[in-house]
Amino acid sequence: MKSIVVLSGKGGVGKSSISASLAVVFSKDNKVVCADCDVDASNLSLLFSLSTDKYIEWKPLSTNQIAVVNEDKCIKCGKCIDICYFHALKMKGDFPRVKEFGCEGCGACELICPVDAITLHDIDNANIGYAKTNYGFSIASAQLSPGSSGSGKVVSEVRKKAKEISQNTEYLIIDSAAGIGCPVIASVAGNDYAIIVTEPTPSGFSDMKKALEVVNHFRIKNGIIINKFDLNEEYTKKIESFAKDNGIEIIQNIPFDKTFVKAMTNMIPIIDFDKKYESIFEDIKAKVIMGINK
Amino acid sequence: MTKIIAITGGKGGTGKSTVATALAYELSKENKVLLVDADVDCPNDHLLLNIERKQLNIVSQRIPKFDLDKCSKCGKCGTVCISKAIISLKEKYPIFIPEQCNGCGSCKIVCPEDAISWENKEIGKIYTGKKDNLNLLSGELKSNQPISEFIVNDLNDEIEKQKEKYDYIIIDTAAGTHCPVIAAFENADQIIAVTEPTPLGGHDLEVILGVLKKIHKTGTIIVNRSDIGDINKIKQVSLKFNMKIVFEIPYSKEIVDAYSKGNPITIPNIISVVNK
Repeated sequence: MKSIVVLSGKGGVGKSSISASLAVVFSKDNKVVCADCDVDASNLSLLFSLSTDKYIEWKPLSTNQIAVVNEDKCIKCGKCIDICYFHALKMKGDFPRVKEFGCEGCGACELICPVDAITLHDIDNANIGYAKTNYGFSIASAQLSPGSSGSGKVVSEVRKKAKEISQNTEYLIIDSAAGIGCPVIASVAGNDYAIIVTEPTPSGFSDMKKALEVVNHFRIKNGIIINKFDLNEEYTKKIESFAKDNGIEIIQNIPFDKTFVKAMTNMIPIIDFDKKYESIFEDIKAKVIMGINK
Repeated sequence: MTKIIAITGGKGGTGKSTVATALAYELSKENKVLLVDADVDCPNDHLLLNIERKQLNIVSQRIPKFDLDKCSKCGKCGTVCISKAIISLKEKYPIFIPEQCNGCGSCKIVCPEDAISWENKEIGKIYTGKKDNLNLLSGELKSNQPISEFIVNDLNDEIEKQKEKYDYIIIDTAAGTHCPVIAAFENADQIIAVTEPTPLGGHDLEVILGVLKKIHKTGTIIVNRSDIGDINKIKQVSLKFNMKIVFEIPYSKEIVDAYSKGNPITIPNIISVVNK
């Protein structure tokens, strides 16, 4: 199985739209599965008209632990508060209280407590599951509970789930979150190819370079798609010459087209909504396969 | 009294930075304003305002330093490390992967030989800048460091220090809903979610408003590119959470042009969202 991750650094440049159509084009000749690794705001399945009520499976997931103080045993020494690097414990009333959104579940408080008054408990911090698209392939996704931490570990679980739900898969398509932090690192590590989507704006260019640093750190083969390339031809040239200087392939330039929004509003992948995109995505697919085998 | 306004949205690319920079710049014409770019993974406000930033601080995080002369190869440090930053093999010295470490300190607590002390690793920087009357504070995470919220926490400390000097502080948060976004809400008096009228915008708006509800804060909604797509979904979310749509920004070629060229963006009457 070959895995392809789509990322961008900057949000809203077209990662999910491109991931969805890429999965459709690959599924024509190959066995495909998708993983929506934007677990903060998981919405790749919406592009296939799949809301969670249409999922085959959707259940709670626990990847995190949280410290719980047993007030009967606590001697109010305050050592747990001092040791917590995340400031997740505070004295409230007579006893230390754990801030739910601050606790990383590291267990330092449990280790330091002289009277064993603190234990770590599993908490459900996400929902995870999968659905089947109209195109025959499945999509694994998860949604982090509001305010929960541990997005990186939830991303790893989604990748695992994608492998579980599909046998003899030839291509795994991963849609990453925006940014370059914990969930993105978890989405990017260990893939065969990375597509970096950008747009010709100062922000798009700056964030693309940051996304490249993450991809290069993990030594993943990669290429760039410039979305809305005609918005600012001068910046498109800047991105192209940067790519040339660094030996990175520009896989495709996609023009600015309001049809993308229409396709999204109708919850249909752009490749199926407007047939002119079929040849564009066939071309992207061919270049990605070449890139993987280089 | 300083008023702190956080701009968020859930989905990426909905126009958070556009709104934050336009609002801050407009307010700064008659008030003392600090714009804080808390999208530390990918800070862009300085690019939108064409500001050359200057370094203010280095943000660092503690990591363990192993004294191998004292180490007895017991392996306890590896077993307590939930970040999998320490790998202990039987009868071998621990292998440490600094990128993975979150500094929790469990390893130091369990080490029976007192072989672990602290050193720092750089995880990011804080910058300052200025555009006309507007001051900028901008945090930036170093590549391949996982914990964005440490940078946001340092920005919060800096806000606390400088607060008195300003009438308004505008905080531009990251996309998403995880830790660094929530950390940015900590001191906010008012929270505004910027969204777009697409199913994806609506979905992510629901998630971020869910976060606000959970941390007992309320917010208002700005719909960007309000005339492309279907605004009904956003209206439903607004009703469900009882958080009002206070402003609509129609699609505008001028905004797209200004954004793509790195010119400051003007949104007429954007100041009206303050206090609504």
